Amino acid sequence: MTKTRSIDFSKLGLRDALDLATIIEEEAKERYQELADQMELHHNAAAAHFFRFMHDVEVIHERKLFERRTALFGKEPRTVDRGMIFDIEAPDYDSVRATMTPRQALHTALAAEVKAFEFFEASLPSVTDADVRELFTELRDEELEHQGLVQKQITALAPDDAITTEDMGDDPVAQ
Amino acid sequence: MDDLVIGMAGSGGDGIVSAGESLISAATYEGYYAMMTKSFGSQVRGGESSCRVRLSTHRVLNPGGALDVAIALNWDDFLKFGAELPVAGTTIVIYESKTGVAPDALPLVGVAPREVFAVPIGELAKQGAGSDKAKNTVVLGLLAGWFGLARTSILRGLRKKFIKKGEALVAANEKAFQLGEQYAKEHPLATPRAMDAPGVQPGSRLLTDGNDMAAAAALFAGCEFFGGYPITPSTEVMQFFNREVWKYGGAVLQCEDEIAGIGAALGASFAGKKSMTSTSGPGLSLKSEIMGLASIAELPLVIIDVQRGGPSTGLPTKSEQSDLFAAAYSAHGDVLRPVLAPTSVADTFDVTVEAFNIAERYQTPVIILSDQEVAQRKETVDPIDPARFTIETRRVPTAAELTDYQRYRFTDDGVSPLSHPGMQGGNYQGAGIEHNERANPTASGKLHEQMNAKRFKKLAPLQRRKDLFHIDGNPKAPLALISWGSIAGVTREAYEAARKEGLDVKLLVPWLVYPVAEEIYRDFFSSVRSGFVVEQSYQGQLYRILRSYVEVPAGVVAFCRSGANPIQPGDVLAKLRTASLTLQEPAVQVPVED
Amino acid sequence: MPTSVAALAAYQSKDFKSDLKPIWCPGCGDFGVVQAIYRALAAIGRAPHDIAFVSGIGCSSRIPGYTTAYGFNSVHGRALPIAQGIKLANPDLLVLVASGDGDGFSIGGGHVPHAVRRNIDITYIVMDNQIYGLTKGQLSPTSPKGLKTVTSEYGSLEEPVNPLMYMLAYGAGFVGQGTPADMAGLADVIEQATRYPGFSFVNVQSPCVTFGEDDDQVKDHRANMKSLASLGHDPTDRLAAMGLAQGYGTDLHTGIFYKNPNPPPTFDAQMRVRQAELAPKALPRERILDMFVQR
Ligand SMILES: Cc1ncc(C[n+]2csc(CCOP(=O)(O)OP(=O)(O)O)c2C)c(N)n1
Ligand code: SF4
Repeated sequence: MTKTRSIDFSKLGLRDALDLATIIEEEAKERYQELADQMELHHNAAAAHFFRFMHDVEVIHERKLFERRTALFGKEPRTVDRGMIFDIEAPDYDSVRATMTPRQALHTALAAEVKAFEFFEASLPSVTDADVRELFTELRDEELEHQGLVQKQITALAPDDAITTEDMGDDPVAQ
Repeated sequence: MDDLVIGMAGSGGDGIVSAGESLISAATYEGYYAMMTKSFGSQVRGGESSCRVRLSTHRVLNPGGALDVAIALNWDDFLKFGAELPVAGTTIVIYESKTGVAPDALPLVGVAPREVFAVPIGELAKQGAGSDKAKNTVVLGLLAGWFGLARTSILRGLRKKFIKKGEALVAANEKAFQLGEQYAKEHPLATPRAMDAPGVQPGSRLLTDGNDMAAAAALFAGCEFFGGYPITPSTEVMQFFNREVWKYGGAVLQCEDEIAGIGAALGASFAGKKSMTSTSGPGLSLKSEIMGLASIAELPLVIIDVQRGGPSTGLPTKSEQSDLFAAAYSAHGDVLRPVLAPTSVADTFDVTVEAFNIAERYQTPVIILSDQEVAQRKETVDPIDPARFTIETRRVPTAAELTDYQRYRFTDDGVSPLSHPGMQGGNYQGAGIEHNERANPTASGKLHEQMNAKRFKKLAPLQRRKDLFHIDGNPKAPLALISWGSIAGVTREAYEAARKEGLDVKLLVPWLVYPVAEEIYRDFFSSVRSGFVVEQSYQGQLYRILRSYVEVPAGVVAFCRSGANPIQPGDVLAKLRTASLTLQEPAVQVPVED
Repeated sequence: MPTSVAALAAYQSKDFKSDLKPIWCPGCGDFGVVQAIYRALAAIGRAPHDIAFVSGIGCSSRIPGYTTAYGFNSVHGRALPIAQGIKLANPDLLVLVASGDGDGFSIGGGHVPHAVRRNIDITYIVMDNQIYGLTKGQLSPTSPKGLKTVTSEYGSLEEPVNPLMYMLAYGAGFVGQGTPADMAGLADVIEQATRYPGFSFVNVQSPCVTFGEDDDQVKDHRANMKSLASLGHDPTDRLAAMGLAQGYGTDLHTGIFYKNPNPPPTFDAQMRVRQAELAPKALPRERILDMFVQR
């Protein structure tokens, strides 16, 4: 899989690593926004609400990373861009359905956290810069933490209705 | 003598059509007006073939009725053409004596031709050229000898034609020609019938057929792309265009079928080029879905449909005017699509340029409804002054419009600026789906209504285009003729003859056959009590369309018959005479109930 | 916000994303396809207004509207001819075509061999979901034999077509396959196809979650796909490509099946040469009718 492009992790410095982490969050944020829009278009308010919440969470993550980067490197120009990463922490398109339940939406988010964890885990061995190592380790562990949080919410959720929209809704409409 | 109609028939190997071509080229060069139609059996090669050549010192409107001169190299073949080569009491019949038919026992039922010559045509060819294959050249010699036709120009033409194959062949043909000419001189006509000399400088007029003319006009109009699929009798448009358009930076794509042909043409238009396709009946049916797409996507496109006998394969080599319904109506949804019909080779130029102008100005597909007769007959055409024409191009967005581009913006005239790929800021999605002003898909009933209104509104000015109608005669005349396409030439000749006889008749010939220009017809019909819509189709399709849009006076009826049963000027004239008599009878007062 | 920081590449994916919100069913494979297309286009770096993106009709054919390129969402099955006309009218454009399996191989199937043999430089992306999506789940030409659909109540009796074999047999210079289960890999194949000078084809196994066979198709793809590169396949070996393409319907091979190492001249390139050669012979437009004067 070519999820990254023209990144040599062995030469990655802290500034670029922070920038990468920022745009990974940016990508996730946009995807949640998209999924929320999809749910809205398909009249699934509960899932839309959850994805908007996740979007806001990613906004916070993104901002924190950006502030950290600015504190360390000021206005130094960015030398990495979105073309270099693809689909790292963004929730999967195929994991959502028009009639999905909040529980399923939480699973979508959970899978995204796992995906992100795996990315940092897989990149770490190639990283040589000590600061970057520290950052990636921290981010990886954060993903683990997020997984725990999502998992907790799933457990806390009241059991799903026995009857779902899938069971009761209209058939899809032919165009 | 100022008008001569010659008909000849033989087997394909006799080269009778090739003789006709030589004759019409020479006559046009000398300054005659000429027209030539060809007709063939259904064999691809070597079947029976025939041609009619009409020569005149004044403009010719149609291929003429009964023959003045009939030439049969073989009676079986001649007779197969039936009504296309009608012999009358005025006809001079010339035939190959080797057929063994006695001059007083010709296989022509019920007519006694004016003069009959049994000529040893093959024999003369053998004597002159060493082979009876040169029969057609002997025929040219006979015609030159008897009717004083274009002698030097024919000889010049023969030289031009055969010189590539060597001087010996030229000499052989010259000899055959001379023997024919000499034979004619030795056997003079009872009443000599030499053609009058034409009154113009040689070499000033054009000679071509409707298909080539349409292609040339398209080039002139700036068309740079053709996508299509071969089908008789339209293929020559594509062939001519393919020879020429590359020189102008364009291309022809011979596609896998008619759908792909119009698809590619529409793609080229989307990309910003003027483009066209051409076809005949069956192909028109295949193209109809994409014509609908062109209408809703509002893209300029010119579609030439050369009508032939239908439905289906029908009579693929014969003319008919039976695609008007298909041209006007073959669309799903509410669609208004202009249809223009040329009436001659000459006005095929005007109509084609006009079609491109309308397509570009209104961003719409336009159908040119030609027919086999116009498309494939050769005709002398007076020089056309290119300065007479303005060439229109589509309205592209201004820089200001591109800053907030709306492809389907509602405008006063219904025409919105049209961008094309490569134009920065003009990006939009063309689509068959209904859309809003920004070209985004919609299912809104309100927008659909508004967009339909826009697409109809932009074409409304066409209804007032008087220049797309040719109206002649006394505006108050009670008797009227309406006719379109090639048959309009026949109708016009009848109209002129009727006027000479003193009948008070007027004539309307539309180039724009659809949409129906209601006001123009209403005006025209206001004085009319009787008349005919003359058409070469079984149903009389224009007549029926007119009746659904305007109040057609009860005395106006269709005069129509299927293709390959040519309507002659005399037929129309006879109808007019009867109608005129009825008009003179005092009108019966019908008591009105209230 | 950091998004406004100067970017390195001339174009980013977002430059190709339009404001229209896709109406696809959540979960549809086509969401991943359009993302991969954005990414491929960003990598190629042509301006959106220099791209023409043509489609037919189907769920998949909605795709041009979700990009900022010039789009043409035409009629069912006719995207290829329209695209060819566009490219010949303006060979400077980058021309992409999108279809579904019904659009591309049923109603539009007759256009395919001709587009291939003409070798006009366009890229054909088929979103192959083995079903008719837009019309609600009828049998498609790529549906596996035996598939029960609303129009094959008792199971289809027909063999499916194999798009990969078709294209290879017709002589396409570039044949690739991808799946939205690997969007990055898919983007890569689409990018390479677009860069290939000539007709190129990408089959995308893009599941329909509403009418498709089962709900976990993308997950299955993720588990079962095999990249051709990892199999050691040599993409210049057409026969080997055909061997692998036989697996269509059972194996999910991703990447490049075949890429002609010596691309022959394209129709459009040859057209330009011909136009240049013949240009001196053009009569001025106002003298075109001189051709018909009898001299
Ligand atoms: C001439 C014509 N026939 C039929 C249709 C109806 N129609 C629209 S899309 C479609 C098939 C869609 O299937 P596919 O091409 O596989 O695309 P998908 O929706 O699955 O992406 C059909 C039959 C049409 N629009 N036009
Ligand atoms: S019906 Fe199928 S192909 Fe169409 S949008 Fe829904 S999931 Fe996608």
